[in-house]
Amino acid sequence: MKRGDKILVTEDLSVGYKNHGRAAPVMEHIGLSARQGELVALIGRNGSGKSTLLRTLVSLQAPLSGRVIIKGRPADSIDSAELPVLVSFTSTEPFPGHNIRVREVVALGRFPHTNWLGSLTDEDLKAVTEALEVTGLLSLADRNIDNISDGERQRTLIARSLAQDTDILVMDEPTAFLDLPSRFSIVSLLRKLTREKGKCVIYSTHDLDTAVNEADSIWLMDGIAIGQGAPEDLVLNKSLERAFESPLLTFSQSDGTFSFLRPGAGEIALEASGICKKLTAKALKRCGYRINPDAGLKIIAESTGTGNLWRITGGATEEVFRTIYDLVNHLPDEPPE
Amino acid sequence: MAGRANISVALTFLILGLLLALLFVLDILIGSTRLEASDVFRSLFGQGTAHGEIIVMQFRLPKAVTAVIAGAAMSVSGLLMQTLFRNPLAGPDVLGVSSGAGLGVALMILTLSPVFEFSSLNPLHGWSLIIAACAGAGAVMVIIMAVSARVRDIMTVLIIGILLASAISSVVSLLQYFSNESMLKTYVIWTMGNLGNLSPVQVRVLLAASSTGLIMAFMQVKPLNALLMGETFSRSVGVNMKRTRIALFASASILAGSVTAFCGPLAFIGIAVPHITRLLFSTSDHKVLVPGVILTGATVVLLSDIVSALPGGGHIIPVNTVTSLIGIPVVLWIIAGKNMMGRKI
Repeated sequence: MKRGDKILVTEDLSVGYKNHGRAAPVMEHIGLSARQGELVALIGRNGSGKSTLLRTLVSLQAPLSGRVIIKGRPADSIDSAELPVLVSFTSTEPFPGHNIRVREVVALGRFPHTNWLGSLTDEDLKAVTEALEVTGLLSLADRNIDNISDGERQRTLIARSLAQDTDILVMDEPTAFLDLPSRFSIVSLLRKLTREKGKCVIYSTHDLDTAVNEADSIWLMDGIAIGQGAPEDLVLNKSLERAFESPLLTFSQSDGTFSFLRPGAGEIALEASGICKKLTAKALKRCGYRINPDAGLKIIAESTGTGNLWRITGGATEEVFRTIYDLVNHLPDEPPE
Repeated sequence: MAGRANISVALTFLILGLLLALLFVLDILIGSTRLEASDVFRSLFGQGTAHGEIIVMQFRLPKAVTAVIAGAAMSVSGLLMQTLFRNPLAGPDVLGVSSGAGLGVALMILTLSPVFEFSSLNPLHGWSLIIAACAGAGAVMVIIMAVSARVRDIMTVLIIGILLASAISSVVSLLQYFSNESMLKTYVIWTMGNLGNLSPVQVRVLLAASSTGLIMAFMQVKPLNALLMGETFSRSVGVNMKRTRIALFASASILAGSVTAFCGPLAFIGIAVPHITRLLFSTSDHKVLVPGVILTGATVVLLSDIVSALPGGGHIIPVNTVTSLIGIPVVLWIIAGKNMMGRKI
């Protein structure tokens, strides 16, 4: 297979559970595909069935109907010993192992390649070292898994998946419970794997911003159906907006991001420049003001040698503030007409 | 780094091996009857006094060998349970598996022995006792596994194990109530735990059963390591969970059952020794842990046996008491430390 070839395809797939022999589908008629060298983000609301779909893709769970095609072969025809050489899976479960070193965890990724004792050959050791290197964990390799940060632990799981040396890496919420920089570094690591190693990485996430910015393709579950496209396609055809529709949110098509919707406090004019203008506008928006150059109430921001100054004009009195915090606290809730 | 770790593992094996050999010799030298060391050594090679040869070959050597087998088997059984249930406090006694084995033994001694003509020299009796104990142990393992599949909470599973153990002891009390005096005496002596009551034939039966269990355990080293990462990971890398679970169940039940059948309940060895071994080798790799636990377990039980013979003058402390005194501090340390295997208890 070469970059761009469809490496994983689902054909009229239905996923879900069987309750006492009766099928309880979570999602039906799924037709998706992922290509070699592609970063695919699976997004959808809580309970939309992301985990169920991912578990079905890696054959941890049988499809209710339809099938998964891996490298041109139906998954159910692939031997259970061969499948782990083609696809790896990292789940959301809290990190299970303890009192075990980072290197040992990564080495467990070699499981499908080693003999009955799990002895590591030179080739296995090389794969482990390489996985540690790519994920930036070489310096932590001999640390106990209990003594590293959440982000580093998640990296360890990615390294383990990488050491398994499969063309397809499936990950259920690799960025859950991580802070913003760790989240970003994990997703850029996943992206690096697709670009430098030609892997196909499919990951589920709630982090819409990063997915929209970094993924090559998004699989979007909106509760009824599942759509696929470049992030920009899904913004343009409004399916992203529809999937997360909520009376509390407003969607910005140009950024592809959601933000909280504020009850309007009125209109205000802003005279400022550069980053100061951007940030002041942001704060005003948060307080529910719409920016309108013709509004009666006006804010003039200017920089002086000692810092920025904000002046409110057009109100009852003219006031001057040294911080945005003071400014917004003095804005009237109901601006004069 | 990896090289240095390998050297320290090899060194630990060497030291443990030497310690085991030393304690083995010491165990043969020390006993309730006084024997000159030179007489003991000559007896081992068939050139001692008649009195010495009987004591050494009929009593002390089988006892020392039994201590080695019992320690190894009980401890590996505990290791398998701790990994399988992902629970640092799992062990044959805590989960009620020893009680299950005890019930099997009680049924044999208290109800069936008159039928089968109870005789400690009959090898068939040896096998039937082992099979009864293993079946009892296996039954409890199955119950605990069924419970732990539904209840994720470690504490609840342990409490259920303790409940099972008390339920079984009630049944045994009932059996005792209806049995005659000589059967009762046999049973009570059995409960005290004794490494020295085995005939050479029984030692061979125990060796055969335990070796089977140990080999089965060693065959599962690779899936055991995968299980450290949880069941989902294990399945995702191709571990056949059903087959693995059956193999581990069978192995743990055979090990705990066969030892309990002949030596009585060896308290706290199964739960404590794996932790001592993890500490000694500072690893979770079962390729190292299984042989490591075999050596540590054999060493600890030999030591317990030596301590139990220390009073001298024909007095012997029940070995069960000594293993408890060694094991309980370890268990307390696990609970207090809370972080062996990192599980909040």
